[in-house]
Amino acid sequence: MTDRAKSKVLVTMVGFTLLCILTTPWLGQQLTSWDVLFSPKADKVDAIIFWQIRVPRVVLALLAGAGLSLGGVVFQALFRNPLATPFTLGVASGASLGVTIAMVTGIHFTLVGLSATSLASLLGAILSIALVYGVARASGKTSPSTMLLGGVAISFFFSSLILLLQYLSDAGSSFRILHWLMGDLSRASMDSVLQLAPFVISGIVIVSIFHKELNLLSITDDIAASRGVDVHRTQKLLFFAVSLMVAGIITVCGPIGFVGIMAPHICRILIGANHRFLIPASILFGASFLTLCDTLARNITSTAEVPVGIVTAILGGPFFLWLLFSKKNSPV
Amino acid sequence: MSSHSNSIIQASGISLSMGGTQLLANASLSVNMGERLAIVGSNGAGKTTLIRCLLGLADPDSGSIELNGHPLSETSRTELAQQIAYVPQQLAERISFTATEFINMSRYAHTGGASMNQFDHQGTEAVEEAIEQTNISHLRHQSLSTMSGGERQRVNIAAALAQKTPILILDEPTAHLDPKQRGLIHKLLANITKNREITLVVITHDLNWASSDFDRIIGIRDGHIEIDARADTFMKKEVLMKVFDTELLLHPHPDSGRAMILPHSSCSSPSTSSPKS
Repeated sequence: MTDRAKSKVLVTMVGFTLLCILTTPWLGQQLTSWDVLFSPKADKVDAIIFWQIRVPRVVLALLAGAGLSLGGVVFQALFRNPLATPFTLGVASGASLGVTIAMVTGIHFTLVGLSATSLASLLGAILSIALVYGVARASGKTSPSTMLLGGVAISFFFSSLILLLQYLSDAGSSFRILHWLMGDLSRASMDSVLQLAPFVISGIVIVSIFHKELNLLSITDDIAASRGVDVHRTQKLLFFAVSLMVAGIITVCGPIGFVGIMAPHICRILIGANHRFLIPASILFGASFLTLCDTLARNITSTAEVPVGIVTAILGGPFFLWLLFSKKNSPV
Repeated sequence: MSSHSNSIIQASGISLSMGGTQLLANASLSVNMGERLAIVGSNGAGKTTLIRCLLGLADPDSGSIELNGHPLSETSRTELAQQIAYVPQQLAERISFTATEFINMSRYAHTGGASMNQFDHQGTEAVEEAIEQTNISHLRHQSLSTMSGGERQRVNIAAALAQKTPILILDEPTAHLDPKQRGLIHKLLANITKNREITLVVITHDLNWASSDFDRIIGIRDGHIEIDARADTFMKKEVLMKVFDTELLLHPHPDSGRAMILPHSSCSSPSTSSPKS
């Protein structure tokens, strides 16, 4: 595939993402009129639903989808493992453990605009990142495979603690924990968008700067170093930047699965492995995919919303399998 | 031992242990500008560890390495990549970059943060020249994952050439290749070093190639440099015994008269053992 062909795929993806942005806020149980576009401050139900519920939710889905997909791209390159994502390294289970503890203990407070649950989630995610990196560094084994295995072990350990706490808690807390673990965008508001935007935007900027290093690191550390990359410094920077970005996403939206692991592979099939194209492609694909999934999640039944994490896997799984087996010379 | 006056790489008394195993023990060598140096030895003798130290990919526990008279430990990765290009043994089949993408990446040390193909005109020339030298024009847009071992190895060498460095270090560049592909790589390396503008350091198990195409051969055994000799004096039974701890069969080449290694016959003659067709 030539660079020209890849650019065309990217332009198509930009168009598709714009289409998602322009159409999805209009889709929902309640039909809204065009007038709301010109009266964002109006007290009418239509305007409130459109501007205070649907638009923030679409923006949140775009940000979370872009960040999760990008996180997968970076971790799969850094660890040279097709199953690596920040989730694999325990970020999601650390955040989930924090939220579970907050829910079981019933702590309620707000600190610098963050609820106790959000703060517990962020602290849990940071704890798991620090543990994975700290243990690897203390043992002098910071190789990708050791860190990956360490992350998987910590992830299992935290998941077991979550199950234990869930087992010991009352039915109400247990249900709330389960619902949070499925990943959900229904709590979207302009505040949550403003909370998440700095994490995702800074993550995108940092990763985009390092696209050439990611290409080389995805081959081998020795190749990257012999071509002039400061391997350890770059790996550390990208590891923490992406882990923090994903920690921010999980804090606001819960652990939405599938996007981070499959969106990068789907984009590799569509546009190749060069991170100069793969990074924007995965941002656009992740953003539009999660937005579409969330639109479906809130409209699939008339009685209640389905958690978006369920929809991403149900829709994305067959789509990925179709791409994987229908395209010759698939890079996956 | 060679003279140090013209040396581009100078390693003195380097030792390295890992997990209780001594990988290199007090190894010293110098590599002269424009020289073709082969490093030979049994599996696990310390050849790859030695070149990893020369490339700055492994830090020796003791000893010093100098590149152009400057300590390697004080040379940045970018400066090092502008001086030494490295060709690893084999590129993994999972790598799905196209040949052009992979070769372009080797310009990293020269372009810094600039985007490839846009500002690096010298790089574009270097990439084109490397593609021409290695005769891989037809593979430009093909993914490495769909290439044969020989094709992938030529792309691997093209990438190192595009890095435009005065030193080229290759780790077993012809391992796993058939005789035709091996011949192509040998010819290619002979061509690119014929003007003596590039210093070539190669790890190989092909002693016949080492003795015919290289100026000097270093033999390593158990992390020690056992012998450092001119290629034409290396192919002797006692020297080979010292390095490989096994008796090798030597025979003069019918054309050049140079000593060549022949395989020992380990079975009875074909006339008595060949199956009936």
